[in-house]
Amino acid sequence: MSDAAPAARPAVVPPVTPGGMAAPGGMVAPATAPILEAADLERLVGQSLRTEELVINMGPQHPSTHGVLRVVIKTDGEVVTALQPHVGNLHRCAEKIGESLPYYQWLPYVDRMDYLAAINNEHGACIAIERLGGIEVPERAEYVRVILAEVQRIISHLMAVGVYGLDVGAITPFLHTFRERERGLDLLDHIAGGRLLYHVIRLGGVKRDLTPDWIDECHAFLEQIERRLPEYNALMLDNHIFQERTCRIGVIDRATAIAWGVTGPALRAAGVDWDCRRDAPYSIYDRFPFDVPVGVPGALPGVPGDCWRRHWVRVREIEQSVRIVRHALRELPPGSVQGKVPKTFKPPKGEVYLRVENPRGELAYYVVSEGADRPWRMRVRGPSFSNIAVITQVGVGTLIADLVALMGSLDIVLGEVDR
Amino acid sequence: MTDATNPSAARGLPADPAPPADPVTALAARKLAERFPGAVVEQALSGRHPYLRIAGDRIVQVCTFLRDDPDLAMDCLHLVSGVDWPAKTPAEGPGSIDVVYHLVSYATRPDPAYRKAALKNDGFVVLKVRVPRDDPEVPSVMGVWVGADWHERETYDLLGVRFTGRPPLRRILLPEDWPGFPLRKDWDYPVEYHGIPIIPPEGR
Repeated sequence: MSDAAPAARPAVVPPVTPGGMAAPGGMVAPATAPILEAADLERLVGQSLRTEELVINMGPQHPSTHGVLRVVIKTDGEVVTALQPHVGNLHRCAEKIGESLPYYQWLPYVDRMDYLAAINNEHGACIAIERLGGIEVPERAEYVRVILAEVQRIISHLMAVGVYGLDVGAITPFLHTFRERERGLDLLDHIAGGRLLYHVIRLGGVKRDLTPDWIDECHAFLEQIERRLPEYNALMLDNHIFQERTCRIGVIDRATAIAWGVTGPALRAAGVDWDCRRDAPYSIYDRFPFDVPVGVPGALPGVPGDCWRRHWVRVREIEQSVRIVRHALRELPPGSVQGKVPKTFKPPKGEVYLRVENPRGELAYYVVSEGADRPWRMRVRGPSFSNIAVITQVGVGTLIADLVALMGSLDIVLGEVDR
Repeated sequence: MTDATNPSAARGLPADPAPPADPVTALAARKLAERFPGAVVEQALSGRHPYLRIAGDRIVQVCTFLRDDPDLAMDCLHLVSGVDWPAKTPAEGPGSIDVVYHLVSYATRPDPAYRKAALKNDGFVVLKVRVPRDDPEVPSVMGVWVGADWHERETYDLLGVRFTGRPPLRRILLPEDWPGFPLRKDWDYPVEYHGIPIIPPEGR
């Protein structure tokens, strides 16, 4: 697949310090018996080889932290013995701003939370506010929303899939997925006039309608994705080097994932058969048949909940999103794309809690209205916030290089962690 | 009420209550009333956002029960939030803060009838704890769901709710020396922070 020398996993050094380098939870096991027992080694060299714990900072400008995340790691040789993520570098007071602005003026800020999946964020926010205020959305607008949201999901997963290659030491897949991603961004640019931040889903509908040209362009994009996916799989999922680097690494089992509130691809990779789009349908997702990839134990490489399965779930979700977009484009009804929204929108007193399936997991909005034109409380559950917290448990005992593989496979966006 | 032919009733859900209550919240309310009398101090079983208001000192008991009960199996804490309710007049006292817990279950549900019934409210059980605004303190549920850690830290960071019985609370999003708790309704924008002028938004 590549001419580069195989990026072998860092060799596991046999335990040399008494009490140190405990084999962490079956993560690393020396393939052969240690050359020297620790006791022998100590007898031979006395105290001269004693090691000490080293505290290192990873980030906030470390490329593998995908943004401004700082992780303080305590290491014993190559093994992480404790770690503490420090978030908040990108805090922009999204919830405070949400309380200070009229509902519709907050929507552009929503884009900037998870800036790689802006449309999915808008979709959730609009549905939550519409439920609160009883706004009707026209049929065609619902379809357009689903089409845009799924195109955004494809783009977001392309980013995740490609950048993950970079995390584990392969540059080629990144360039390949970004070629397709650019086409997808162009597609959204043509309807929304922005490359990453769109503000295209509005209260009661969408800003612009799909044109026949756009639909043709979208079909071409989907075909290209389908044609290229086997190429990505050859480069990554089926690649022996990639499998060695990701299988049985960073295992988040089912119970751990649920207890930490991990959602999205990471939860499905752990073997939980749950997708909000199918199991708690919002918008019109109940009209589209699609499969939910779940990392059950079985024929696949690795074990449920490891880095390879998370990557696999994302690739399979791209396929399913292509299917949903095709279906929606085929059934796209005629009509208006903007419903009636009062000029001064004041939803009645009440509360709403709504979760949607973002590419990264379950995004939820908790909106409390006191009957004013701006919300009393606007609370956002960013999926990456819970997803990254789990590394405080799962990251302990891994090698430093595997911690990079683990964090990359969780596909976090710090804009959403910090909001 | 109990109808053996009704799959919801067979699983312990109310068959057809009137007025239409959220089945999962209603089941939780019934079980809690049997098991912990007095723990639920107020309940709203119907409407868009049904919830149970729990006495603050019982929250850990209640959460442990909801997690371990086989019918409810609320194995995931989706979100912890705080809502500030300052007193409208001085006579009302200091006002209060609601700590809101959204619980959800990912346990396998082979019964489609349960699934359908549960999803009317997306399957959430919402617990609220009211704490006084001048001394907001509530026991931590980190021992029940370890994922509560960061959510509680965030609620402390932005609203100043102190969670007890857990590792020390530290700010998570804001700098350690940030003045006050910004999501409190009476929080004033500081004039400057380390020499950086702060311009409050207009219309406040």
